[in-house]
Amino acid sequence: MTEASTTSRPGLVEQVIRRHPDPVSVRFRGLSDRTIAWLFISPTIVLLLAINLFPLLWTVYLSFTNYRANRPNAELRGMGTTYYEQILSDPDVWESMQATAHFVIATIAIETVLGFAIAYLIDRKFRGHAFWTTVILIPMMLPPAVVGNFWKFLYQPQNGLFNAIVAPVLGVSPGSFQMLGDVQLAPWSIIIVDVWMWTPYVVLICLAGLRSIPDYLYEAAEVDRASPLRQFWSVTLPMALPFIMLAVLFRGIENFKMFDLVNLLTSGGPGSTTEVASITLKRAAFESWRTGYASALAVILFVTVFGLANIYVKALNRVKQR
Amino acid sequence: MADVRLKGLSKTFNKRLAVDDLSLDIRHGEFFVLLGPTGAGKTTTLRLIAGLERPDKGSVSIGGRDVTHSEPAERDCAFVFQQYSLYPHLTVYDNLAFPLKSPLRRLSKEDIDVRVREVAETVHISHKLDSKATQLSGGEMQRVGIGRALVRRPNIYLMDEPLSSLDARLRSDLRLELKRIQQDTGATLLYVTHDQIEAMTMASRIGILENGRLVQCGTPREIYENPASVYVATRLGTPRINLLPAGVIPAGSEPTGTSVIGVRTEHVVLGDPSSSASKARIGKVERLGDQTFLHVDVEGHKLVLLADPHVALEADRAVGLSLRAPLFFAADGARIHAGQEARQ
Ligand SMILES: Nc1ncnc2c1ncn2[C@@H]1O[C@H](COP(=O)(O)OP(=O)(O)O)[C@@H](O)[C@H]1O
Ligand SMILES: [Mg+2]
Repeated sequence: MTEASTTSRPGLVEQVIRRHPDPVSVRFRGLSDRTIAWLFISPTIVLLLAINLFPLLWTVYLSFTNYRANRPNAELRGMGTTYYEQILSDPDVWESMQATAHFVIATIAIETVLGFAIAYLIDRKFRGHAFWTTVILIPMMLPPAVVGNFWKFLYQPQNGLFNAIVAPVLGVSPGSFQMLGDVQLAPWSIIIVDVWMWTPYVVLICLAGLRSIPDYLYEAAEVDRASPLRQFWSVTLPMALPFIMLAVLFRGIENFKMFDLVNLLTSGGPGSTTEVASITLKRAAFESWRTGYASALAVILFVTVFGLANIYVKALNRVKQR
Repeated sequence: MADVRLKGLSKTFNKRLAVDDLSLDIRHGEFFVLLGPTGAGKTTTLRLIAGLERPDKGSVSIGGRDVTHSEPAERDCAFVFQQYSLYPHLTVYDNLAFPLKSPLRRLSKEDIDVRVREVAETVHISHKLDSKATQLSGGEMQRVGIGRALVRRPNIYLMDEPLSSLDARLRSDLRLELKRIQQDTGATLLYVTHDQIEAMTMASRIGILENGRLVQCGTPREIYENPASVYVATRLGTPRINLLPAGVIPAGSEPTGTSVIGVRTEHVVLGDPSSSASKARIGKVERLGDQTFLHVDVEGHKLVLLADPHVALEADRAVGLSLRAPLFFAADGARIHAGQEARQ
């Protein structure tokens, strides 16, 4: 190891070594501390590469070939960027991207506002507040398969609970509309379920944010004669904002990839009104068995999410530094 | 500005009395210092006045109005908190401007700007106006905290050990500055500290707190020269007052019931061993730079005195020692005045 590398900013290995001034190599003659540290972390690194990086690279590779998973022994041909060109000029793909965007934006907006509002309410100490916090978190703990089937049942037009409750409010008969079968309503039926299931998650993160605001800030604001409304705008909201933004990030990434609920509830229908990107992907991969094409779509989706998330994280960091 | 009157104020936390039957009148335009060690109930007293705590008993009135049950905003007190309580997401400028932007005030942007810059100048923070509160050092944060109180013209300024986190130089600067501001503006100020120097240098009057009770109240001079108890006497003076059991050194007219004699430097006359009441020996001479402490052994007891810097002193020398009007205390710590019996 050179002089320069020890004085420059220490990497992980150097940090580990510095924390343990007593050299391990005394017992392992011939190996430097650095080598030993690498030996220790190498299994983890290999595992991470195998699980995360390899499938990604393999997908990228397949996206340039005509590989079909149902015909693994067929002759493999390079396709160049053919699939990418096909996908980007396919109006159906753009439509599914739009459906995805609508879904992501609607769920994030509703879940964030609702989640923060609920968190704000249950942050105050009131009787049984631990109990209600737990109750609110239940939907999030259920497996999506259960939630999907459960809501499919609720959405039944004739005897479903949802229609039975909503219809009288709207002044129509319960059988007069179909949440899952109607072109207008189907996207909303999925949004409702997602909101029901994942708002608690936003509540949890916002609650962490609200609890992180020290009492003395409110006390200072109170002696500074700030009204409750001003305290909310100038203390609560700005202090909780990084947490809210984090919740938006997590929900955004999750819902961009949303598959299970849609697949269970509508499978992309009626027509293709709820066909989000992941459903298109699944159809290409496991119904048409166009693995190469599906890989190209997956790569495009990945790059999109990755790019958006990166831009967003930059914004988040700027908010945190303020 | 207004006077503040506390009557029989008590506050208990988990069965522990933090403030115990505290009555106090702070006069309009007064710089009042509450002095007491950690845990004496200083912070709690301030919080009770500001309305951040509700008393179990007693009342608070500000400017003649009973505000015991009023919200903090109605009381119009400015508070400097012990720990920095700046709004971390705001700049120094916006922190200082925050209290002025209250809708109760209706100040124009220009008025606010003038005021903020003026106060920033006072607390020496003008160069950091655009920094985020989180980018400041502890001392700078506390100065902003003081500034945030000073921008206002409240009924009373409440300050909770505002200088304790600053370095010595800045502390003495700001001591003078605070005193000057208070005199110039005629502000009413209640200042809480455990530092006797702050109390002595700034206070118009001092109140001594012991376990939540106000044990004595008076001008710094009165409290120093005429302490009501051993506890009060040990609060003021460097080096600390020496406590000797009665009878160790002849003290002239010791009142009956005297159990402890309090001896400060000014109560001691050092002289020739042959002509003095007691024989003593100079032990260590402790030079602190600006002050010199003299350790004197007398009859198996040790006194710490302040030495005259112009007199050359050698360690380990025999001297004579006699007392001149020391302070007498009874067994329970209460002061007994010369020519007076101990209270039974
Ligand atoms: N919020 C509180 N909960 C419980 N005990 C408290 C609280 N505030 C103060 N106390 C107790 O009251 C006593 C006085 O505290 P405080 O007023 O902070 O003293 P000081 O400011 O003089 O150090 C201490 O024993 C402290 O532990
Ligand atoms: Mg305190």
